[in-house]
Amino acid sequence: MNMRKIQMPLFLSLLVLIPLDFYLIFKVAPTERVMGDVQRIFYFHVSLAISSYLAFTTVFIAGIIYLWRKNLFWDTIAYSAAEIGVLFSTLVLITGSIWARPIWNVWWAWDPRLVTMLILWFIFVGYFLLRNGISDWGKRARYSAVIGIIGFLDIPVVRLATKWWRSVHPRLKSEGGGLDPVMLKIMLFSMATFLMFTVFLFLYRYSIARAEENLIVLTKRLED
Amino acid sequence: MTFAGNILAITKKDISLELRGKESLSLMFFLSLLLLVIFNLALDMDNENTASLAAGILWVIFAFTGVMGMGRTSMAERDEDAYLSIVFSPVSSESLYIGKVISNFLFLMIIEISTLFFFAVLFDFEKIIISLPGLLPSLLLGTLGFSVVGTLFSFLTTTSKHGEIILPFLFLPVVVPVVLGGVSSMNLILAGRPVEESMKWIQILAVFDFMYLCISLLLFKYLIEE
Amino acid sequence: MLMELKNIKKHFHSKAALNGIDLSVKEGESITLFGPNGAGKTTLIKILSGIMSPGEGEIIFNGSSSSEFDIKKYIFFLGHKNSLYNSLTVSENLNFANRIFSRSNGAGRIETVLREHGLWERRNDPVKELSQGMKRRAAIARGFITDPKILIMDEPFTGLDLKWRRSVLSKIKELKTAGKSIVLATHLVEEGYELADRIAFLNKGKLMFIRDKQDVQLKDIQELFHSLGEAA
Repeated sequence: MNMRKIQMPLFLSLLVLIPLDFYLIFKVAPTERVMGDVQRIFYFHVSLAISSYLAFTTVFIAGIIYLWRKNLFWDTIAYSAAEIGVLFSTLVLITGSIWARPIWNVWWAWDPRLVTMLILWFIFVGYFLLRNGISDWGKRARYSAVIGIIGFLDIPVVRLATKWWRSVHPRLKSEGGGLDPVMLKIMLFSMATFLMFTVFLFLYRYSIARAEENLIVLTKRLED
Repeated sequence: MTFAGNILAITKKDISLELRGKESLSLMFFLSLLLLVIFNLALDMDNENTASLAAGILWVIFAFTGVMGMGRTSMAERDEDAYLSIVFSPVSSESLYIGKVISNFLFLMIIEISTLFFFAVLFDFEKIIISLPGLLPSLLLGTLGFSVVGTLFSFLTTTSKHGEIILPFLFLPVVVPVVLGGVSSMNLILAGRPVEESMKWIQILAVFDFMYLCISLLLFKYLIEE
Repeated sequence: MLMELKNIKKHFHSKAALNGIDLSVKEGESITLFGPNGAGKTTLIKILSGIMSPGEGEIIFNGSSSSEFDIKKYIFFLGHKNSLYNSLTVSENLNFANRIFSRSNGAGRIETVLREHGLWERRNDPVKELSQGMKRRAAIARGFITDPKILIMDEPFTGLDLKWRRSVLSKIKELKTAGKSIVLATHLVEEGYELADRIAFLNKGKLMFIRDKQDVQLKDIQELFHSLGEAA
């Protein structure tokens, strides 16, 4: 399988890139004047958020292709990506909350971006709950595709609604602002590293999923 | 028969099913009443805080009773595989979907209006009935949003194990914009603000309804065909 | 030729459920589909009834490809469940079928069908109050209302005792006499054999044979089932 051919170089480069990313974040990046060291979590937080959106976009696209082609390959792609999406969005919520504590003085800020992520997280938890309850592969794939598509399209609407809703209430300070050029470069580097890591994890998860499915198919054949 | 005729046949069938079985409407009715009582006790409501809490309480009740009721209606469809009689007929999946959206919409509206009346009586809050004309646009659009999403999801969850528990898990996060829109516009209207202020919420509700109606029309056939 | 399947193939996750099926259904004939569990009967039935798209191959109905028009208009499907609304009455269920198939049966026709099926006295009872056999009868009665060209049935005798099986069988025969084609998938060798004009045997996604009834003995099929390790 040619997956291996991509996986290995990815793995080797991540072996270098991830420690380098940590080094840049903790040693090279300047300390933010107002927020202090806590701001460094920002590099992880944003990168994780982008990675999880990449994962959910994959679920969305794979869902559409599945409904069109009815090839279970796309379902495997979709749920492998969905798992990574759930994992990363959980981390986004946790890092967001760690960051919010010293900066906004609350554990949880009802910031539109965080709320959108939380809603998305709930939808995809539902996605896996539903998958568990369906044994027929074809049906499970169709139903999950429908949820994956709807969950993804919900993002902009939820985002807009939470933004407007917040404007009625006292608004919390928004994050970021103008980034210093070094910070920006490290941020971009961190994002790239995490995206590569996401792809790696995804390929890894995918090959496990394939192995699991093949096992089930073989067991069934033996039973026949 | 035409597209509209098929839709009508489905809606009519749902209504007579409800009149015979009285399963979803009665369930929704009692649940909404019960929730009203619980909210009153839990939030210790009085003349002062009722106005500010009304919108939130009502839309939470609408969302919960709505999702329960719609789950129930689609159980009747799955019972004995009854829906297959429609699947194996010239009726298109789109007409089946729209027919069910309409009947769910009607059931939800009935319950919502009755909840508003009970709210007015139990909380001594006549204002909610007096402002009904102003509330109606958001109520109609919000309820349509609930039925558009709920019809699709309830059809999807009823065949899976523990579907009735999973349904709210999928439904409630997706309809967050509807709840926000409904609550915010109701708050504005109860506060006596001009209609223009709630317009943007009406717009977001309309966009939500339109968007999900289009997507669901495209996706519904995948729930019944293989 | 009413309906033709040409080289139908269907895969589920690299496992072939159907592997090149050719089957033609003539007008007014009935075909019984036998085969052990997992042979692909249900898949074939789903494809025949238009609810599942064939992976490969072609379906010709009345001379034109099935992708060009709605085949469901001419089909009556009955699975192991009755597909009746439990809370609705028998006549409401029949009326609903009449409406969604856009048939212009008057109340008179529906009354006749109800009477012929011994359902007239129970017409205003909700379906859930009927016995299993009566429910099945009501389910089949719809086939007389929707006026299909072809009836596709998947294990229609499930859950019925001998007496009711005979009664259901005779109703299916009446439909055949009325000129309908029938495709029936079943485990029950005797009932299936009795109804058939032609007999098809499906195993591992392939048709082992399809022959006229006079060329196949009842006991051949029973033996075949035994040799495949299934009690018929």
